[in-house]
Amino acid sequence: MAALPGLVEFRINGSIRCDGFGSQMETMVNKYSTKWLTIFVHPLILNRMVERSNIALDPVFRALGDPTRRAMLRTLATGERNIGELAAPFRMSFAAASKHVKVLEGAGLVRRRVQGRRHVCRIQPAPLAAADEWLQFYHRLWTEQLDRLDALLESEDRRATERPKGKDAKR
Amino acid sequence: MSATAQVKVTRHFNASPERVFDAWLEPQTVGKWLFATPTGQTVRVEVDARAGGKWIIVDRRNGEDVEHSGEYVEIDRPRRLVFTFRVPKYSSLTTEVTVEIEPGESGCDLTLTQTNVPAEYLGSNEKGWTGILVGLAEYLAQYVAEHI
Repeated sequence: MAALPGLVEFRINGSIRCDGFGSQMETMVNKYSTKWLTIFVHPLILNRMVERSNIALDPVFRALGDPTRRAMLRTLATGERNIGELAAPFRMSFAAASKHVKVLEGAGLVRRRVQGRRHVCRIQPAPLAAADEWLQFYHRLWTEQLDRLDALLESEDRRATERPKGKDAKR
Repeated sequence: MSATAQVKVTRHFNASPERVFDAWLEPQTVGKWLFATPTGQTVRVEVDARAGGKWIIVDRRNGEDVEHSGEYVEIDRPRRLVFTFRVPKYSSLTTEVTVEIEPGESGCDLTLTQTNVPAEYLGSNEKGWTGILVGLAEYLAQYVAEHI
């Protein structure tokens, strides 16, 4: 389902504005993001998706904290896979892979459906988008904090120059 | 590519590195700006400015107290300050904030980095979860190149 990763793409583009990635990424995504937006999804749809789903971020970050699970997600971004296919690159047992998938499921990052004997997994982009939103929130927060610090220091300087010198030079 | 560094903000200040650095640790100064919202009021500031020391800043917004707290990890005046940061009311995640101050021609340049995933969730030298987003973006860019 091509539209699915398209959702993620939009948010990736958003997070690049908060300097989370290298400049190479920035160029690459800038080059393509508009196309993705117009072709696949309006950003509002995703915003609503994130709002409505009320995603808990802790399990998302916990799930993403493991390299095997990240690799699995990367694979799933290219399309659906069954557990065996996800396990293959790691030479791990079905049970071990299933355990990882369970963590991803718990975080809402993956949905699994049983088709006969196959467990087919599909990526769910909303939690990734929510995680990205979280990052953007903090970017705004820190920008505001530093704005305020700058304003405070400037106002102290102004007050210091208005006063007779010698007093309160540091404040 | 940055590994776990997630949020990064840089800013130039006309003030000296020492003054900007101290603004983070002097209780009477830090309470005037850090986590102070325009409509809120800072009602509690505690700063135990040593490695391992705790800090708490409480902002009252519409009668509701919001606590920001953490521990100092590294204090190297005036260059580098590292502290953990959490807002228990909104999240159980603890993040780490690094403030680096470089002297410039007039004043200094500050770089703030916040890593979102605490150490217990993520080994210190492995790639952060941004790897996923990067991986996805790489895939998507390739997909677009091939299909569109």
